[in-house]
Amino acid sequence: MPIFDGLGSGGEKTAIVIDLGAAYTKCGFAGETGPRFIIPSEIRKPGQQQATKVVQYNINTEELYAILKEFIHILYFRHLLVNPRDRRVVIIESILCPSHFRETLTKVFFKQFEVPSVLFAPSHLMAIMTLGINSALVMDCGYTETLVLPIYECTPILPAWEALPLGGKAIHKTCFVSDLQRGLQIQEAKFNLEGTAERPAPPPDVDYPLDGEKILHVKGSIRDSVMEILFEQDNEEKSVASMILDALVKCPIDTRKVLSENLVVIGGTAMLPGFLHRLLAEIRLLVEKPKYSDVLASKNFRIHSPPAKPSCTAWLGGAIFGALQDILGSRSVSRDHYNQTGRIPDWCCLSSPPPESFYEAGKTPPPLMKRAYSMEK
Amino acid sequence: MHAESFFFCCCLWKCVCVRRRSTVASLLRRRCANCFDCPCCMHTLSTRATNIPAPLADDPTKTTMKKAYYLACGFCRWTSRDVGMADKSVASGGWQEPENPHAQRISKLIEYYQQLAHREKQERDRKKMARRRQCMPLAFSEKYGLGTRLQRQRPGAPISALAGLSLKEGEDQKEITIEPAQALDEVEPLPEDCYTRPISLPEVTTLRQRLLQPDFQPAGASQLHPRHKHLLMKRSLRCRKCEHNLSKPEFNPTSIKFKIQLVAVSYIPEVRIMSIPNLRHTKESQVLLTLTNPVENVTHVTLAACEEEDPDDVNSTAKVLVPSKELVLAGKDAAAEYDELAEPQDFQDDPDIVAFRKSNKIGFFIKVIPQKEDDSDVTVTFRMRHDFRNLTAPVRPSEDGGDAAPEAIWLTHHVELRLGPLAP
Repeated sequence: MPIFDGLGSGGEKTAIVIDLGAAYTKCGFAGETGPRFIIPSEIRKPGQQQATKVVQYNINTEELYAILKEFIHILYFRHLLVNPRDRRVVIIESILCPSHFRETLTKVFFKQFEVPSVLFAPSHLMAIMTLGINSALVMDCGYTETLVLPIYECTPILPAWEALPLGGKAIHKTCFVSDLQRGLQIQEAKFNLEGTAERPAPPPDVDYPLDGEKILHVKGSIRDSVMEILFEQDNEEKSVASMILDALVKCPIDTRKVLSENLVVIGGTAMLPGFLHRLLAEIRLLVEKPKYSDVLASKNFRIHSPPAKPSCTAWLGGAIFGALQDILGSRSVSRDHYNQTGRIPDWCCLSSPPPESFYEAGKTPPPLMKRAYSMEK
Repeated sequence: MHAESFFFCCCLWKCVCVRRRSTVASLLRRRCANCFDCPCCMHTLSTRATNIPAPLADDPTKTTMKKAYYLACGFCRWTSRDVGMADKSVASGGWQEPENPHAQRISKLIEYYQQLAHREKQERDRKKMARRRQCMPLAFSEKYGLGTRLQRQRPGAPISALAGLSLKEGEDQKEITIEPAQALDEVEPLPEDCYTRPISLPEVTTLRQRLLQPDFQPAGASQLHPRHKHLLMKRSLRCRKCEHNLSKPEFNPTSIKFKIQLVAVSYIPEVRIMSIPNLRHTKESQVLLTLTNPVENVTHVTLAACEEEDPDDVNSTAKVLVPSKELVLAGKDAAAEYDELAEPQDFQDDPDIVAFRKSNKIGFFIKVIPQKEDDSDVTVTFRMRHDFRNLTAPVRPSEDGGDAAPEAIWLTHHVELRLGPLAP
């Protein structure tokens, strides 16, 4: 739907909103109803057959810089078709993104493309902006991991985060054929409730044509059993469903009722057919267990449906925020500020900044901070 | 180097330079207004016309053939009728992209948040003014000032500040409230026949097809609607330091002018073979060559045989004896053929060397002694040295104030001639 850009409320051009996911990147303009493009987060070098993934956390800075530079270049000049110098950038990120990655990304934007300002927006917070509510328990089922973060009255309850490396990537690994299988699953995955006495008859097999020549026979039993890894409980009794309950337990008592009645699920893996239904069923099953029933008083779980596909919800929140031209400027890190200080503020960074700087998600550092990765400075 | 961009259209539709604020909606969308992409295979769709019988407007009983247009893909045979799009009666401009069903809700949300943001900005401005006027002891103000600043400017928790604002009295703005989203108790389960129904793959969309339409991401192929074709872009490059234009593409490929000035053909004397006698192995024969002068001033050409160790000299199969004297070529004079009163220039040619002379062309002899006896062509090589004046370069005013002629540069070229096979 054509939106007149170039003439926002403040006379500024509309900002660019980018959600760099591990599997796919959503990019587009602020104020629109959906991203313009969803492209795989990888770049293809001319000599290589395999594409290189853009979001990698374990490679050294120079390589990461080069990969990010090329990827952002493609975003700007093949897809978005704008001049980078004119428009502010809103980047949707995961709270657990390593500082090293963020800093390299910022450097690419400021040094290479000379954007006017950059704002890092946490994906969970952005998701609830699409709903018009102030509190929700947000679960992001992405490619590398699933991350749960409760948000109460617009503030993330950081100590109560939960994360598990169960996402689209885990499903890839357990299958012999990787991303074809994933595409297949997204199209046809089935669920059955495990725990019932006998296994129901598996759904029919599918012949999937590969490259026009070979045919991949996918057995029906694979189709439905693969998704179970998301819901099986491992040795610590954690699964995608139990994470929600664990996060609830960690939250202050007063907030739990509100949070349990406002569940939001975002992320590409959540788009599997039948996922939400299964999730709710599992939660209701698990809450009966003594571990949870003693602690959680309310057994009422409700789930929201945001006005966008789950994979784009966080993007949409960023787009809504990016359209607020009155405050976007003041909340972003400007290029001048970056040139002066040489770094961007991060929520987990405890060094006290000069008065003009801006903090990222959360209050002034919360007392109990669990770190999943060791943040290098 | 940084890039500045403007658009160029896929179908040579008239495009507008976007450096001016353009309000053409389709250009702002970066999509062509006329062309569509096939949702199945991403090729460009073509508009096809059929004749369908339709009732006449004034007389419903009679039917007449009217033209109806539909979109079709030449590659994968997808047509717009597959997804249920009705045929249109105009060739272009009839098809619309489907609208996002949530568009209204989203725009309401944006309005609501913009209102909150506006309030926050007002608060901030007010506080700034208030702070300037107050004069507090330094320590107190720092503690107080820093606290409020921290509390207010937290980009990661934008809504905390936004939600805390309330309407002050005196502000008579209409408050836009928004209905918060309602959570659902039950989610729709999978349909029962999911477990038993065999999947027909042509009806299910692939991930790639789905992601081309991010707003809808349809799972079934019957819902894939075509989108307008994405525009390509040409980039013009400027130097970062001096803002000089380094490369600037044209709007329309037909308007590209050939701007190269220094084409070799118009500056280097041309050697052509005029007549070849019968060439016999180890027998000396005379070959007649012509030399043409492309420039307008007199050119001096010297020929020399190739050295022993000349790296360019790979193909010669014959020895060659070139004239050792310098050959002088008259300048090319376009008006010479019309000017009958012109004095023929006197060059004092050696008749053994120069066979004839005609305006800017001379014919001269070289002696060739084929060395190899095989069936391949006789090839001779030699070096040609001539003077070149670059008349296109800007003439710098010389220090003595006179009009200095461009300096002559001597260039040497390697010439290779294939004279054909030996005579049988």
